[in-house]
Amino acid sequence: MAETGRLSQTAVRSPVVSPVTLLRTAIILAVLAAWELLAHSGWLYRDVVPSLLSIGRAMAALLTDRNYYFNLGVTAAEILTALAIGGSAGLVVGLVLGANRFLSRAFEPYLYYLGPTPKIIFFPVMIMWFGVGPESKVALGTLSCFFPVALNVAAGMRQIDKVLIRVGHSFRANTWQMVQKIYLPAMRHPIINGIRLGFGFALIGTLLAETKLSNKGIGFLIIQTYSIFDMPAMYAMLIVLFVLAIGANSLIGKLGGLDSIKRS
Amino acid sequence: MPPDAVRNDAILVADDIVVQFQTPEGPITAVDNVSFGVKPGEFLSVIGPSGCGKSTLFNVIGGLLNGYDGIVSVAGETISGPHKSIGMVFQEESTFPWRTVTDNVAFPLELIGMSKAKRVERARHFISLVGLDGFENRYPGELSGGMRQRVSLARTLASEPKILLMDEPFAALDEQTRLLLGDKVLQIQQELKQTTLLITHNITEAVQMSDRILVMTYRPGKVKRIVEINLPRPRTSEIVGSEAFGRYVAQIWNDLREEANRGMRDEEKNVLRQEEQAL
Amino acid sequence: MTTAVTPAVTSGRDYAAPLVGFGTFVAFLLVIEAVIRIGWLNRFIVPPPSEIIASFSNLFTEEHIVYRFFFTAGECFIAGVLVTIFGIAIGVVMQRYSLLQRACETWVAAFASAPLVLTYPLFMVIFGRNAWTIIMMGFLSALPPVILKTIEGISGTRKVLVNVGRSFKLTPTQQFWKILFPAALPTIFVGIRLGLIFALINVVGTEFLINFGGLGQLINDLAERYDLAGTYAAICFVVLVSVLFFMGLEKAERWLRPVA
Repeated sequence: MAETGRLSQTAVRSPVVSPVTLLRTAIILAVLAAWELLAHSGWLYRDVVPSLLSIGRAMAALLTDRNYYFNLGVTAAEILTALAIGGSAGLVVGLVLGANRFLSRAFEPYLYYLGPTPKIIFFPVMIMWFGVGPESKVALGTLSCFFPVALNVAAGMRQIDKVLIRVGHSFRANTWQMVQKIYLPAMRHPIINGIRLGFGFALIGTLLAETKLSNKGIGFLIIQTYSIFDMPAMYAMLIVLFVLAIGANSLIGKLGGLDSIKRS
Repeated sequence: MPPDAVRNDAILVADDIVVQFQTPEGPITAVDNVSFGVKPGEFLSVIGPSGCGKSTLFNVIGGLLNGYDGIVSVAGETISGPHKSIGMVFQEESTFPWRTVTDNVAFPLELIGMSKAKRVERARHFISLVGLDGFENRYPGELSGGMRQRVSLARTLASEPKILLMDEPFAALDEQTRLLLGDKVLQIQQELKQTTLLITHNITEAVQMSDRILVMTYRPGKVKRIVEINLPRPRTSEIVGSEAFGRYVAQIWNDLREEANRGMRDEEKNVLRQEEQAL
Repeated sequence: MTTAVTPAVTSGRDYAAPLVGFGTFVAFLLVIEAVIRIGWLNRFIVPPPSEIIASFSNLFTEEHIVYRFFFTAGECFIAGVLVTIFGIAIGVVMQRYSLLQRACETWVAAFASAPLVLTYPLFMVIFGRNAWTIIMMGFLSALPPVILKTIEGISGTRKVLVNVGRSFKLTPTQQFWKILFPAALPTIFVGIRLGLIFALINVVGTEFLINFGGLGQLINDLAERYDLAGTYAAICFVVLVSVLFFMGLEKAERWLRPVA
């Protein structure tokens, strides 16, 4: 066996499984174990912490239930419509405000200060305007996602490195070439982040509205499990919802070329 | 200002350029009756202290600034906006971070609608010219500052401008990188016989590279003196150590020191005035 | 180099833009008022702004909005205290043990974008339809930003400051309390500001949804009573409170951070 020279004393040989994965697995297992203990201990009253088995069974029942997929489709359609309307409106408004300093100083403060307000409280107004059907949920979702998209796009426009604009002008690019080859690529991060945020807010707004007043959709199903006190089903639905939401967020980020959810 | 003697065979002429700006404190004159000409194949540097208006002059000649008096003409044609025969290299980082080196360099060719195959081939030629062979598919983020400036230079050269206009392109680099890049630029300029106008504050750089140097005063910027540099060509950075070189540098520093002093005193006055206003 | 001086800068303070913005808003209200009075817009869907403004006084006298405001504020305050304590503590621990940070930070970031507030039915089961559910929703949604910013702040301490500490032979505990933590405070405050905003939004939202509490519940109540003008007025009031709260937080952060 060739003798490894003294020159390079490499540290511990990298293990087969990374320590991060090990720790994550350990944490997950510990949480699951504690959960199961709590479920069987009878400490919390009634079914607040159902056993993992019952949750598993509820999840299986859920994922094989056609009704669930129907409602999932309803909610997904509402969210995507809200994102399409609110997102495009936000994109246009953001581009205008980002391009024009005067308009930005006149109107952007309104967007900036109205952005972080609870939008669900507008739901009664949406119901008055759009009725009790899916339109009112879409309306609330649109209202929720408009602000983050508009603000992000406006900020993105202003953060474009000015020298890149000058490069474009120095090569005499026409307006369309400037937008397509310089403005949009330079703004890809803020636009993708705006869409991610917008999606998140549209999702929350739409779902909360569904829990309040609806007869279709995932939000409706969740509040139903509350009213009939079917806890395993509620947990199952919440878990699936979270997985889908986090997955979609990550997917948008990856499609947009950003590396991780962390970069917000 | 009496016109430059070489104006008749100059390819780039700046005639009585005056640029004024409005500030809260009133109008200030950045550039005051500056006139000069650049001959084909010549390397002309414009040197001056900070605040002498040389970057303003750069923007005027490049066609990016329109509010001025006077005329800038290229081969007899008055400019209005960026002229197709003038290529600009900026002081700041200006490579497109989302494009590879090749796509960056091919940018001006893309704008005029050249086919992809031809663009890539042409870009390769200029990438090689600036000495970045092997980095064609890298992104600017993977390169050093000096390499990125070379990409910017290659990009401008790819548009084959009659006149190369550069605004302190090496200002952000350390001295040694600067000297070596200066060598590269000189070599390219001599090979292509590229007419070049370089804006700089660095005396060594100016003397190293130029046929003539235009020394500017502090604000309002006027032409203080035009110095002919009669050092032999081809030149490299080795010339920096020679006696003749030293003499030119001393002569120009003599002119500049006075202006630079005025600049410093002015800045100190500004800071004191701002403090007073804040109180 | 002199800073860029743009040609034709208007001298003096420029109020034109904010005036245009405000003017547009007022004009919009006037247009709505006119359109309703003419009859183009149904006043049972959109009450005239004049009626909305009139019912504001009602909010104070009959609906005890001041009491409700303090109730909501109290919930937010408790949520805020909880998130400050737990958020910073968790952030500090996570940053201290880099393996833990590497394992869990992306999880926390994932939860920052997850619809946490949708677990409110679950918390209603656990706590009942009362203030604790509301406080929990505020607390949980505010937690991720505080944790993440705490980690970011401590990790982001400039290396040279750490080296100063080491040159004075500080123990790890001293290093933490005397250098890392103070250096991290500005970023931590940003996290707390974000957390408080999320807390307010989720507290009011949950109050509305479960029909309990202060301001959020008021809106729900007025809506269910078909008091249109009152509902609009209450929504405006809550938006106003939220905007002022946000502005106040910004001022506080700037005051705590005098160096830009």
